[in-house]
Amino acid sequence: MQKKIIYLKDTDSTQQDRVNDFYTLFSNELRDTNLIEQASVVRIADMGLYEKGVAVKILPENIVYTGLKNTDVKKIIEETIKGNKVIKELLYEKKSKQMRAVLKNCGYIDPESLEDYLAAGGYKALAKVLLEMKPEQVVEELKKSGLRGRGGAGYPTWMKWNFARGMNSPEKYVICNGDEGDPGAYMDRSVLEGDPHSVLEGMIIAGYTIGSSKGYFYIRAEYPLAVERVQKAIDQAVEAGLLGNNILGSNYSFELEIRLGAGAFVCGEETALIASIEGKRGTPHPRPPYPSVKGLWEKPTIINNVETLANIPQLIFGGGAKFASIGTEKSKGTKVFALTGKVKNSGLVEVPMGITIREIIFDIGGGILNNRSIKAVQTGGPSGGVIPQEFLDTPVDYENLGKLGSIMGSGGMIAIDETDCLVDLAKFYLKFCVDESCGKCAPCRLGGYQLLHLLEKISEGKGEMEDLDKLKKISYAMQKASLCGLGQSASNPVFSTIRYFEEEYKKHIIEKKCPAGKCKALIYFKILPPKCKKCGLCFKNCPSAAILGSREAGYVIDPIKCVKCGLCFDVCKFKAVTKE
Amino acid sequence: MKKITKEDIEKIDPLKKDLGKSWIKVGMSTCGVAAGADEVYATLIEEAKKRNIEIDIRKCGCQGACSVEPLVEVNVEGLPKVLYGRVNKDVAITILERHVRNKKLLHDYIFEIN
Repeated sequence: MQKKIIYLKDTDSTQQDRVNDFYTLFSNELRDTNLIEQASVVRIADMGLYEKGVAVKILPENIVYTGLKNTDVKKIIEETIKGNKVIKELLYEKKSKQMRAVLKNCGYIDPESLEDYLAAGGYKALAKVLLEMKPEQVVEELKKSGLRGRGGAGYPTWMKWNFARGMNSPEKYVICNGDEGDPGAYMDRSVLEGDPHSVLEGMIIAGYTIGSSKGYFYIRAEYPLAVERVQKAIDQAVEAGLLGNNILGSNYSFELEIRLGAGAFVCGEETALIASIEGKRGTPHPRPPYPSVKGLWEKPTIINNVETLANIPQLIFGGGAKFASIGTEKSKGTKVFALTGKVKNSGLVEVPMGITIREIIFDIGGGILNNRSIKAVQTGGPSGGVIPQEFLDTPVDYENLGKLGSIMGSGGMIAIDETDCLVDLAKFYLKFCVDESCGKCAPCRLGGYQLLHLLEKISEGKGEMEDLDKLKKISYAMQKASLCGLGQSASNPVFSTIRYFEEEYKKHIIEKKCPAGKCKALIYFKILPPKCKKCGLCFKNCPSAAILGSREAGYVIDPIKCVKCGLCFDVCKFKAVTKE
Repeated sequence: MKKITKEDIEKIDPLKKDLGKSWIKVGMSTCGVAAGADEVYATLIEEAKKRNIEIDIRKCGCQGACSVEPLVEVNVEGLPKVLYGRVNKDVAITILERHVRNKKLLHDYIFEIN
């Protein structure tokens, strides 16, 4: 009989770690029953389960028991280890909330090897399309699948492709938009770095469908590794005859080229992106005409996000109907999110549409750091908004997030806890948009600057009640009058924070207080004499010599010299420094 | 490399994908590299050669668990497939010595086990 291994972990974080007690119990029980030869107990660092009590995983059978009590140990040894029986009451049914479709190869294959991608079933969809399907059939499959653009706006992909296909032009272009710029979002980078061939395959299929023979990868220069791997993938594909003339023996020819984005956020907007590829200054221009009518070099062009294109091969291979079986009524398939912020396990997650935000944050992300409570979730980066914790049970799809005043966006998801200030957050995103505004249209150039000025005023404690109305007014004007998506959505963070957290704004304005303790102008540090043990630790650590006094006389903070770094608050072992 | 034909692609069955019995995979996306994955990868290759350990060491993309990068996945015949997190140079050497050669797991760094 193969030796069994019992992996042990206390998955609760709220109470004391009981793993050592259980380790002793298991070890003693094994020794008493003379089973040491057949099984061993091992403590491990992580099991992928959270808040499920003491858990064990028994290999090689891969049985997981959770919520164990002391009395269960004997039973497990008796029945499972000795008798090879599964104890139904304790069994934990592992239902992974994640569903890997776009990321299925990321982390499993070598991104620099074409053989690996082929072995994982790569380019099968391309062979099917080129040799068995007509362009109309591809569009039909896409329509059936209900795939919508993953870049943020959620425009149906089949419509975009169909417009371009219907255009009568000898030259057409396919562009992959890899200019991912949202702070805290890196889904596209991971796909390009982990599975570049899947995006390539999606692009070739797109080219065949609309009748184009030339495609461009637009990748930002800040992603050197992604650029390197995509270039390698293109070279391999050319060598293997998957790019170039007469692909796979058909009479279809296609070539690909990389263009680097120089780091402007606005170049992720499709018209600005086109201008950038043409060698012009990266500024947007009004639509219509849409790129699918008049795009790159004035020719019909389709621009798709990396994740959209990476969805294409599996969609075609599995069929549109299969793709449509996942997700909600209007949003199909899966979505990759970059889960960051105050969450325990930050990282990339891929979930089916329709999962709730709570499931993403708590079941996959493992909850909030330091056991603090969650305040809100920010989605969609600088163009998105915040979703307060009372709406965490909303299913994630394009419509629902839109209704809440946020957007799906490219897929950034930032958890905000009680120590984060919403005014500060709005200020951060606005600062980003003001920096990145191209300056072409007045609403975005001037409006953004004015909004930022008002927010700064509020966070410095100089805000007035009229400022709230002004903020709303300018935000509205920007939404309606800006030229491109950047300006139209730049005020979203302001709008949605006022909508849900007006109280917090009012506290800043009326009481001149920042409840989260983030806005430096509104917090003061003080040493409480009764608690102070005169150890001098704060005195030693203060970087601006703002703490006066001696070990005999005690210490005080000079509010004029204090730079409010919070170091004294952090180092004090007796909680004698207060922040208010 | 010779040109791939339609038959070549259709012949492959992804379900029969076989990576071999023993391999090590290092997550080498930007998140991994930033946490030191390239050093881990180089150490693994170098030390495996030095210690005469024969194992297939490969690169892969991001596995998603960015908070515990660098990630190293190890599959050795007779042991479960283990994903190690927060691997550094020293741990990489220990993986080779303990896990690959002596077939014992490094309990403190296990992140996922299958």
